[in-house]
Amino acid sequence: MNWKKTIRISFVLFLLTIQSLFLIAILLEHQQTAFIPIFIIFISIALTISYLKAPLHHEEHTYEHIFVALWIPIGALCSYYINNILQLGPVMAAGIVGTTASFLPSLNKRSHYLKQLPPAFYCGAFIGMSSTKVASSMLFVLAASIFTGMLMILSKSLFSGLGGKLGVLAFAGVTITSLIFFLIF
Amino acid sequence: MYILILFIVSFIAATGTFYLNEHLKQGPIRSSAVLSLIVATFFFLFPQLLSPYLTTNIPLVFIGSSFIGMVSTRLISNYFLIGAAGLIFCIVYLNTSSFFHGYGGALGTSAAISLLAVLSLPILKASGKFTNGFHLLRKMVFNRKLRK
Repeated sequence: MNWKKTIRISFVLFLLTIQSLFLIAILLEHQQTAFIPIFIIFISIALTISYLKAPLHHEEHTYEHIFVALWIPIGALCSYYINNILQLGPVMAAGIVGTTASFLPSLNKRSHYLKQLPPAFYCGAFIGMSSTKVASSMLFVLAASIFTGMLMILSKSLFSGLGGKLGVLAFAGVTITSLIFFLIF
Repeated sequence: MYILILFIVSFIAATGTFYLNEHLKQGPIRSSAVLSLIVATFFFLFPQLLSPYLTTNIPLVFIGSSFIGMVSTRLISNYFLIGAAGLIFCIVYLNTSSFFHGYGGALGTSAAISLLAVLSLPILKASGKFTNGFHLLRKMVFNRKLRK
């Protein structure tokens, strides 16, 4: 099997696992009512159909440039600072970082590089939305940003145009970091 | 009543972001971030206007649902389906496991799950499985009525 295809399939399976864990956690917590388990089962079936049939990925597998992914930690630290140090809240933090980043391409409209930066900043902003109970330090935010950056590099041609893709990448980065910090500290 | 308000907010956030993104050509990031910033600033400046539950949850539901509106027209362009994804998001958000509270990206994950769930509808409709299923269900119900 082509190694690019292997990376592609592994990555899609990894994100499916992350989303499945999210749904399983809901299912386990709401077993006393009938509606939520039925709802989760329907959602899971629909999710599987979309993963198998929807045109979510580009044919050719490409990678995001490392110099684009490098801006994820900046977005994450700015958002974390606004959220937890300035105490303005997670939505305000992501909103400020995202709005500011969305105007970066206006600095030089010919620059292809600047056009690629807003998604990286906004993805980082989602990491910074974490509460201090989860992200206890700047070190955690940096570590989560590095994992998210790696995932972003791998996923350029996957789930393209899907709303929530950046959030899933950030969530995967935060979850991996939480697990590592839990095992180490 | 509070739940109904959150459902309305999620529907408006998803469709509003999509409108700003695709029709006003503001791009996905600006559409989501600007609208969320406006809503968050409003509730930051007027925290006493609504109940503490709504003041806390409306900005979170709004930004989460706005991620759905960031979708490309290549995947979906029907406002009704985008709004439906927003409603699914609201159900997922209201029942999110307490284990993942405070995790950055959890709202985006809920949005992606909701959107992917809705994206299966055109596939099912095109393959005929959806309509066949309804046809069989209708046949089953009517046959039972006739037997009675």
